[in-house]
Amino acid sequence: MIDETGPKRRRTQLTGVAWFGVVWIALAVLGCALIPLAFGLRSDLPDVANAYAGPTWAHWLGTDRLGRDELARLLVGGRVTLAVGAIAATVAMLIGTIYGALAGYYGGVMDTILMRLVDVFLSIPTLFLLLFLAALFHGNLITLMIVIGATSWLGPARLVRGEVLTLKERLYVEAARAVGADDARIIFGHVVPNAFGTIVTTTTFMVATAMLAETALSYLGIGVQPPTPSWGNLLTTAQSDLFAGAWWLILPPGLAILVTVCAFNFVGDWLRDSRDAGVVGS
Amino acid sequence: MINFILRRLLWAIPTLIGVGVVAFVIIHIAPGGPALALAGENATPARVAQITHQLGLDRPLQVQLYVWFVGLLHGDLGYSYQRQESVRSLIAQRLPQTLLLMGGALLVSILIAIPLGVYQAARRNTTFDRIASLGVFAAWSMPTFWFGTLLIAIFAVSLRWMPVGGLQSIDTLSFDWPSRFAHLVLPAATLAIVSVAGWSRYVRGSMIEQLREDYARTATSKGLTPRIVLFKHVLRNALIPFITVMGSTLPALFGGAIITEQIFAYPGMGQLFWQAATDRDFAILLGMTMITGTLVILGNLVADVLYGVVDPRVRYD
Repeated sequence: MIDETGPKRRRTQLTGVAWFGVVWIALAVLGCALIPLAFGLRSDLPDVANAYAGPTWAHWLGTDRLGRDELARLLVGGRVTLAVGAIAATVAMLIGTIYGALAGYYGGVMDTILMRLVDVFLSIPTLFLLLFLAALFHGNLITLMIVIGATSWLGPARLVRGEVLTLKERLYVEAARAVGADDARIIFGHVVPNAFGTIVTTTTFMVATAMLAETALSYLGIGVQPPTPSWGNLLTTAQSDLFAGAWWLILPPGLAILVTVCAFNFVGDWLRDSRDAGVVGS
Repeated sequence: MINFILRRLLWAIPTLIGVGVVAFVIIHIAPGGPALALAGENATPARVAQITHQLGLDRPLQVQLYVWFVGLLHGDLGYSYQRQESVRSLIAQRLPQTLLLMGGALLVSILIAIPLGVYQAARRNTTFDRIASLGVFAAWSMPTFWFGTLLIAIFAVSLRWMPVGGLQSIDTLSFDWPSRFAHLVLPAATLAIVSVAGWSRYVRGSMIEQLREDYARTATSKGLTPRIVLFKHVLRNALIPFITVMGSTLPALFGGAIITEQIFAYPGMGQLFWQAATDRDFAILLGMTMITGTLVILGNLVADVLYGVVDPRVRYD
């Protein structure tokens, strides 16, 4: 076999911030998933007598306007926001990967048409489409995830196309064709798996973007609908609660979004840098 | 050069038509159109059908698309039945406000992002660079509306340095420059946060790359001061690809204006778009998408031309 790996592989170590990102994401996912179950925290239990209570030992982060435990709402809201981020990013990557792979692999007229269409979509601000679709279909968590995903596949499509353009010239593609593999098998069995590094890196960034999209839509009132908590709508209601003197509600959801989105960006950045050094992936 | 510009302008036409078709189709296949919004919640199906017919919304999609396009070519952006006003005049009232806001945001971004990126590159891997990088990541990862509200809480409510929102002080009805400017500072800073973060990272990376080039080493070894090497030699080359980045930020600024104008009750295009989306005022949504699409395409064209002006290596053929 001809060695195609290019520059000699070098072990890349996680940088400080990338370590932090990985650990934080793991903690956030596990914490939001398990802590409410383990300690029987209820996010939907109103206790009006205890409304707007500051932090105490019973309610570490205080209670909201209905006396619901803010810590429980933060953790359950984290599940929602992380799920929106992960599923929307997956949707975006699925569309982007298939679209980009088809454009890059077939090239020619197909590539021109598909990429001109991407140019068209890029001339329309993403938030315009996102807002229009979310306003139409709002109220449902699943449609929210799909809408966010369906409006953020343009970047991934371009990146995957670029990658496929070079990958399709590789020897193993020629070999696969020689033994009679059809296009679908070559694209999805050989080319796309080798673009996995790019796909994983982009997905990481897309999760961060999708989480921010959730907060923006929740701010406009067309994101996750109360009483379901999400970091976006917790932060939005906390802003009006501030005028009622409930200062303890504003920092937890804001910091949760900030640190978690940062964590995904740190990891994505590290993945990209190590790919540039020719390490991760093929 | 003229040839290049003309060719790019010609290429822009199919893109613009594409924007129109895509926006038209997405908006018109959406359920619950303007007829439903006009007839109200309790209208009978017959009444909705009647209004649909009056507005011509029951004609085949391609016929409606054709009629709309012919109108566009005559400078008719459509008519908002909900607001009883032509889309052109609605946009004409709002566009200058948003362009002013975006201009302010661009200015803030340039003034912060370029010096920050240059200094980070010049002192890379020092404590300053690390702290600044962390701050940039935080700015990038922050919900815009949270940042905007923080600015209001600090500079408008606590310190009372800036107005909370609006276009200008209500004390005077005539155009008041100082008041306009004061009302622009916080929204422009809010809108700028994402581009400041993205751009400064880009400038830093681009500067570090250029500093490794031979010409930078030559300039340093012939005894030029680091300041001259940095600003006169390296920065110029680092900024060339940055022009394209600036051009591609335009759609994000138009989108970001929706959130920013909502926070600061600033009467611009973003606010109009948001109201039109909740009212299902399709004519406004379409007209605005066409106008922003045109501006975005023109912005990218200007960026491409400027790229050629500052980089003599670009050939126009």
